[in-house]
Amino acid sequence: MSETDEEFRLRLRAFLTSSHPGRRPKDRADRLGWQKAWLAALFDGGFAGPSWPRAYGGMELSFARQVIYHEEYAKARLPRPLGTGVSIAAPTIITYGTDEQKDRYLRPMLRGDVVWAQGYSEPDAGSDLPALRTTASRDGDVYVVNGQKVWTSAADIADIIFTLVRTGSVESRQDGISYLLIDAHAPGVTIRPLRDLTGDAHFCEIFFDDVRVPVANRVGAENGGWPLVRTSLGHERAAGVMNQAATYRRVLDELIELARERGLTSDPLVRDRLAGFEMRVRIMRYTGMRTIADIIARGEPGPASSTSRLFVALFEQELHEFAVDVLGPYGVLDREDPHAVQRGRWVWGFLRTRASTIGAGTAEIQRNTIAEQVLGLPRDPGMPAR
Amino acid sequence: MDVTGEQHELRATVRRFLAEKAGDSLLWRQMADQLGLQGVALPEKYGGAGAGLTELAIVMEELGRVLLPSPYFATVALAGHALAECGDEAKSRWLPAIVDGSLTATVAFSGADVRACGGELTGTAMFVVDGDTADLLLVVAGADLYAVEGKSVRRTRLQTLDPTRRLGRLELDRTPAVRLDANVDRVRDLAVIALAAEQVGGARACLDAAVGYAKVRVQFGRPIGSFQAIKHKCADLLLEVEAARSAVEHAAATTGDDLPIAAALAAAYCSVVYTRVAKENIQIHGGIGYTWEHDAHRHLKRAKSSELLFGTPATHRARLADLVGI
Repeated sequence: MSETDEEFRLRLRAFLTSSHPGRRPKDRADRLGWQKAWLAALFDGGFAGPSWPRAYGGMELSFARQVIYHEEYAKARLPRPLGTGVSIAAPTIITYGTDEQKDRYLRPMLRGDVVWAQGYSEPDAGSDLPALRTTASRDGDVYVVNGQKVWTSAADIADIIFTLVRTGSVESRQDGISYLLIDAHAPGVTIRPLRDLTGDAHFCEIFFDDVRVPVANRVGAENGGWPLVRTSLGHERAAGVMNQAATYRRVLDELIELARERGLTSDPLVRDRLAGFEMRVRIMRYTGMRTIADIIARGEPGPASSTSRLFVALFEQELHEFAVDVLGPYGVLDREDPHAVQRGRWVWGFLRTRASTIGAGTAEIQRNTIAEQVLGLPRDPGMPAR
Repeated sequence: MDVTGEQHELRATVRRFLAEKAGDSLLWRQMADQLGLQGVALPEKYGGAGAGLTELAIVMEELGRVLLPSPYFATVALAGHALAECGDEAKSRWLPAIVDGSLTATVAFSGADVRACGGELTGTAMFVVDGDTADLLLVVAGADLYAVEGKSVRRTRLQTLDPTRRLGRLELDRTPAVRLDANVDRVRDLAVIALAAEQVGGARACLDAAVGYAKVRVQFGRPIGSFQAIKHKCADLLLEVEAARSAVEHAAATTGDDLPIAAALAAAYCSVVYTRVAKENIQIHGGIGYTWEHDAHRHLKRAKSSELLFGTPATHRARLADLVGI
């Protein structure tokens, strides 16, 4: 490997620039095609999956190179992977999947040909995930699945839904859960988009009505699905932080520019707030690098990695709320209004980031986890044991 | 920014040493003789270990954890670094004595209140860390740094919020001084980074104390740490402490043109965090945390006074805004 980091950066940048798919189409169907075409081009160009093993079409980059990758990717303003498969399901499949499952699923997922969505949450099992009730009863070499999932991002464009289902008794909680891959187009699967407070339909609810799923689609052992939930490639989290740090570096620069255009950067209060965001966006990056250093030195991420998700969530909420303040009266305009500043992105972001402290585990649950698992504080006696 | 085994070892050694020796009147000399802490980041040529700011930050963090009343910060982080920035003459004259523990020193960042005239200084310097006891005083006058013998200056100890850090007032009246060729801005940047490391150590100590107490203090038949109100507070504090640590570790590893930015960031962020964690530590301890006997108030006092020592967080944020072009 004679290429230097800088040469790698330039080679990557050249590819991202020359293959850039252009402006995002407004029409939803056009946008999906545009995104899929980009992901395929990225994969075929050998620039997909920075942390993924080469065996599955990834780049298997060193940590330092992953940092460069995410910075360049964020700067280039390119579409992100579709669905949640690449970030969440892939580490699980790589760690626990059979060889057949790896061969069958991973490359098409990374190339964007097959979109994956996560079906964990249920109407009565969100934060209390072990309370889930969607059942999968064994019938020969298939499971018959019945139940309902909710808050499933991108389910309406998904081909595979990776789910947690109850294969054990009603009371079995986390010990009776299996990890099952369900064909989103199978008979008995009904997917209904849910409109959120931004007006978009980002989430869906999914109904399973006697859906027949081959036993071969189970990842891990029957009733052994629970430990799979927490799988992540150690460095995937660090890379996620680096990626967000790079994205928010750009977003903050755009906010500073907005404040400058509106003549606000001479206001000491505005400057003070912007300096606060400047510190935090830099700290985000330092934390990502520190986590990577921890992984290299000790084989595991340190305490900063467990707090970084919450750090980012709080940051992005406050940043967008401040951006709306910067807009002044224009902050009341919706995306659809022709006078909306920058196509209403800041107002939309203000609304969208309400989900940051709710989705994928509420901030309250994250705080519980940090307090119990990092600081060793006792569990709430009212909560069932895990 | 990789944390090496040597750095882990240094941290463990300093922590062990302080646990055993705190309160020992010979501590200062033992720090030098047994561990070589005064010279940890000073050049080998003058007896130091020649390690970097990262190692100094580790020592400062450990000192901050135990609130050791010690001339270390002033002598090593302020004056030692200032002298290391100077020419060979100044270095060879003072650094070996700092390294072996026989000389204490400090820097008076007195701004415009001291003026230089023909090799003599006149004016008043306030808030000088260990200013009333240091053997050697490095005094900022205008954009320059001067060395003054402590004995030749009228000085008084200030009555301060934080009893664990001495602050002095210097009165200079045509006091003979030697002009040094140090970059005062850089000396100040290094000082605030070292202070930020101390603040992270103090903040972590407060968090550890709060968490430890929350595990054992029982109310309503259960440890208070099992209540989400306490748990969530502790989780938020960890978030802040870890972010502060990221800021310091980065600043300590920064060289060149980015140093002022890293220093302003670390100073602004870490000082706010330390004060917050110190306050919440008292809160979580409840009544016991409010008593004179408990250590919690010592951290609060150190935190608040450190926050104000080299400019408020708001001034550091304003400086950062200037430096990054906001």
